[in-house]
Amino acid sequence: MDWLLALLPHLVNGISLGLLFALIALGFMLIVGVMETINLAHGSLFALGMYAALFLLAPKLGWFPELQAGYMSLPVGTRYAIALFFAPILVGVFGLLLELCLRRTYGKDPLYGLLLTFGAALVIEELIRVTWGSNEQQMALPPTISGAFMMGDLMYSRYRVFASGFAILAIVALWLFLEKTPYGAIIKAGAHDSEMVRALGIHLGRLRSAVFALGVALAAIAGVVMAPIWGIRPHVGVDAVVPAFLIIVLGGVGSLWGAVIAGLLVGLVVGLTGAYASEWSLMSMYLLFIAVVTFRSRGLFGKKSVLDT
Amino acid sequence: MTPPRASLPRRRLIRGTAALAAGFAGPWGIHHAWAQARAKKPLLIGLATDDTGQYAASGQDEQRGMRMAIAEANERGGVLGRRLDVVHADTAGDPAVAAPVAERLIRQQEVAFLMGGVHSGVASAMSKVAQAHGCIYFNTNSSSPTEAGKDCHRTKFVWDGNGTNFSTSVVKGAMTGFGRDWVLITSDYTWGRNTARGIRGIVEGNGGRIVEELVVPQNTPDFSAVLNKVRAIKPGVIATAVGGDDLTLLRRQVRENSMDRGFGWINNQQDWPDVYGLGREALFGIFGTTWYWGLGLAGVPEFVARYQRTQGDYRIKVPGNVFYNGYMATRELLRAIERTASTNNLKLIKELETLRIPALDRMQHHDAYMYPQTHQLQQTIYMAAYNDRPRRSDDLFRILGRLQPQEVEDRASTQQCSLESYAATPSYEP
Repeated sequence: MDWLLALLPHLVNGISLGLLFALIALGFMLIVGVMETINLAHGSLFALGMYAALFLLAPKLGWFPELQAGYMSLPVGTRYAIALFFAPILVGVFGLLLELCLRRTYGKDPLYGLLLTFGAALVIEELIRVTWGSNEQQMALPPTISGAFMMGDLMYSRYRVFASGFAILAIVALWLFLEKTPYGAIIKAGAHDSEMVRALGIHLGRLRSAVFALGVALAAIAGVVMAPIWGIRPHVGVDAVVPAFLIIVLGGVGSLWGAVIAGLLVGLVVGLTGAYASEWSLMSMYLLFIAVVTFRSRGLFGKKSVLDT
Repeated sequence: MTPPRASLPRRRLIRGTAALAAGFAGPWGIHHAWAQARAKKPLLIGLATDDTGQYAASGQDEQRGMRMAIAEANERGGVLGRRLDVVHADTAGDPAVAAPVAERLIRQQEVAFLMGGVHSGVASAMSKVAQAHGCIYFNTNSSSPTEAGKDCHRTKFVWDGNGTNFSTSVVKGAMTGFGRDWVLITSDYTWGRNTARGIRGIVEGNGGRIVEELVVPQNTPDFSAVLNKVRAIKPGVIATAVGGDDLTLLRRQVRENSMDRGFGWINNQQDWPDVYGLGREALFGIFGTTWYWGLGLAGVPEFVARYQRTQGDYRIKVPGNVFYNGYMATRELLRAIERTASTNNLKLIKELETLRIPALDRMQHHDAYMYPQTHQLQQTIYMAAYNDRPRRSDDLFRILGRLQPQEVEDRASTQQCSLESYAATPSYEP
């Protein structure tokens, strides 16, 4: 039993990590699954979400000092909630602009979309660097979700519990949206047979814009949630885009639950190797990827995509 | 019939031409005197710094230090009557990028000297290229013990304290304060591994015990598993050999888990750009440094004033150890050129090998000197912690003590370093 008790904190940590990985992969999954575009700017948009939240949490409004002082007098918790809600919307609007550029690549060689989003990733990262500088930034957190708490002999970070809970909420909300609303049905239908959707009088261009903006907003949500854990720096997106890509391939392209389960698997593997063979912790996710893809090239749930139902 | 003797002059002509070509081209292969040959031509200094990547904050900071020293020299009329020009390249903190960057700066840009490097892999890669050409290279801020140990070169000079120097200064104090059971968190690359090895040697040499060494990959975004493990082990002291953004991230997650209390944290070295402006949340434990703006020594206020005058637009409002190293290294290079009245690499190397800098001149407590066997500058090492009673917002460090260069000497490096002979070092005279 002792070994199980010793293992427990690592399992809990692995699941928490997995939920966060799944959250990071959601937006990527949506865009790849519905639009068949590999959005290499996902990581940079994730970072942009962090910076947008940073701005909303402590805006520097040089021309309006009184407005700034008034806003800053709001409790940190209120400003954090504002940042969590509005930062993804701001970045989602930015995503709409990016989608305008992406339109020209629809129906062409997928390489064009790949190159465009890769270029966008570089531009966004550089924009961040020019606007906020390249140094590390810190995000203030409400005291209620800061620090750690004890549960029996185990100590947990309050923020990780909050972030994991938030990830579960985001996953469920996205599932409900895709499965239980007419908008979700249109999105899925658009992915399945775009010509038919067009024939039914639905504007395909707008549908694609909306999906892309939603995917980008999800990337930004993940960024805001991960900011206090990973820190805020211009190149942090690289840490997000690689596991996101790996998770959606592992889970099966376009599968929501595939991405969630793959995220949990990756989290558990990274968490356990981090505890017992720490030098392998990053490598372990790639080994898992190779092992799964070798035997099942379409990923774990490649066939059971929500888009295929 | 054509007389046979006509072929003799032709052979002679061919041989003569070949000999002439060899005589002319030979030195071109190893002497770069032709490259920036004539006096009064600007002296081109190559700054190859880690402007992006894991050590971006420090890379940019040290570059500012180098540029300030160069600008000051130019204000005085340059060096040996030659203006100083700068060519700059970003190594991206990546050894695979750094080697071609160094090659390009030396071969294509024809720089006179090469400087920079925070990441030890970057410094090592650039120094190999510099040695192959005979170009003097200053490692300004990379502190892996291997830099002046097994990876030392005749053309390379190391200006920062190394991991062993810093460890020696902080380990002994921590042993009495926090206990003898230690855990090491080590970054999985040259600097991390070698620094951890140094810490292990010092801890065990002083009767301590390394209970576990947790090696983490570079650019690890999440330390939670490692911190869980540490919590389970319950050591007295946790010593980290983790640098740059990784250290900032580790600190953030240690604090997030409320593990900054209840353990003794030893951070081998704390670079100023990594913590400036981050406040108390980012800084805990005991760490080493080579310089602090609040040392209260003569010359420091003037240096800070010069910094603030020239770097007014910069986010860091007072200089730190990384800027200082970049500035001091560049200043000493230019002074060495003045003293030898030459830019010949071998003359300069010999001059730098006997370098001794008075404490007052370096704004440290003890004289610094270049160790000729390893080419590492031996200098005062300070132990510091977060200052909970700051005089102003920039007053982040509380200096706990200092050690003379002899007290923190890295003897292992001396044994591992084997400098190339002067004869085996290509001549290079910009």
